[in-house]
Amino acid sequence: MASDTTHAAHPTPLLYVKIAVLLAILTGIEVALFYLEDAVGPLVVPFLIVLAFLKFVIVIGYYMHLRYEKPFLSRFFSAGFVLAILVYAVVLGTFGVLAIRAAT
Amino acid sequence: MADVAQAVPAGTHGEHESTGIEHRKLGMWVFLSSEFLFFGAFITTYLLFASRPGMARPYPAEVYDIPFTSVSSFVLLMSSLTMVLAHNAIERNDQSGTRTWLLATAMLGSVFIGGQVFEFTAFVTEYGMKLTTSPAASAFFVLTGFHGLHVLVGVLMLFSLYGMSRRMGGLSPKQHMNVELVGLYWHFVDIIWIVIFTVVYLLSKPPL
Repeated sequence: MASDTTHAAHPTPLLYVKIAVLLAILTGIEVALFYLEDAVGPLVVPFLIVLAFLKFVIVIGYYMHLRYEKPFLSRFFSAGFVLAILVYAVVLGTFGVLAIRAAT
Repeated sequence: MADVAQAVPAGTHGEHESTGIEHRKLGMWVFLSSEFLFFGAFITTYLLFASRPGMARPYPAEVYDIPFTSVSSFVLLMSSLTMVLAHNAIERNDQSGTRTWLLATAMLGSVFIGGQVFEFTAFVTEYGMKLTTSPAASAFFVLTGFHGLHVLVGVLMLFSLYGMSRRMGGLSPKQHMNVELVGLYWHFVDIIWIVIFTVVYLLSKPPL
């Protein structure tokens, strides 16, 4: 397969700064939610997970330039992430069940 | 000002293989993808022990200083900005700008490591939470310690790039890829911290 002659266009420094401001705001919201847990209730957990995932995706997409790279790289990188989530979800589930059995 | 710059000629980045992606860059992505499993193991171990009752106190979640760790997180996030600006500068062959942003990233990384050393010292001396206090404490120190070690490796690579650029009066087009590779590593360390900050610091609770 022939190699490509150009990479996709990368963002400008101004966009990088805007993204940094957004990341800082999202972090501020996370910390605020931590202190407002009593007021927000159990929804604070999904909110925090969604905010972390947003930051995670923004850094990978823009700072690591994955959204400007070949889809092959995205699939490859996502595969490692999804594999880790699946493997450790099974581990957590298994040990969780064992802990419940031990307690009863 | 437009938010997207002109396309970057691939020829400046070195050889490509059959995937159309430069060898070393593909290798770095493979390495980083495997790192999810590395850190996932430690995060899972922490989650298994963080709230398990019956262990020696204090639990990690009882001694966290969230305002302090929030500032550390902010510092690491901003280091990702300076790193991407270094990469942007080298793509424009702005050698002086590249050195400035590389140094800024290394300094921010050093501040983060300093913060972690301070945090660990406070946990041990003020609260008596040591590596061997409990499985929860062990899991916390091993997870965050390994992350800190990754940051330290990144800082050393950044200072090396800075030193090379200073000594040789700039990085050659062949060395541009080194900045990109160190950048990928640095951003990855940042996204792992994003997960640690939320899962370990903000979400974990000691048992009642």
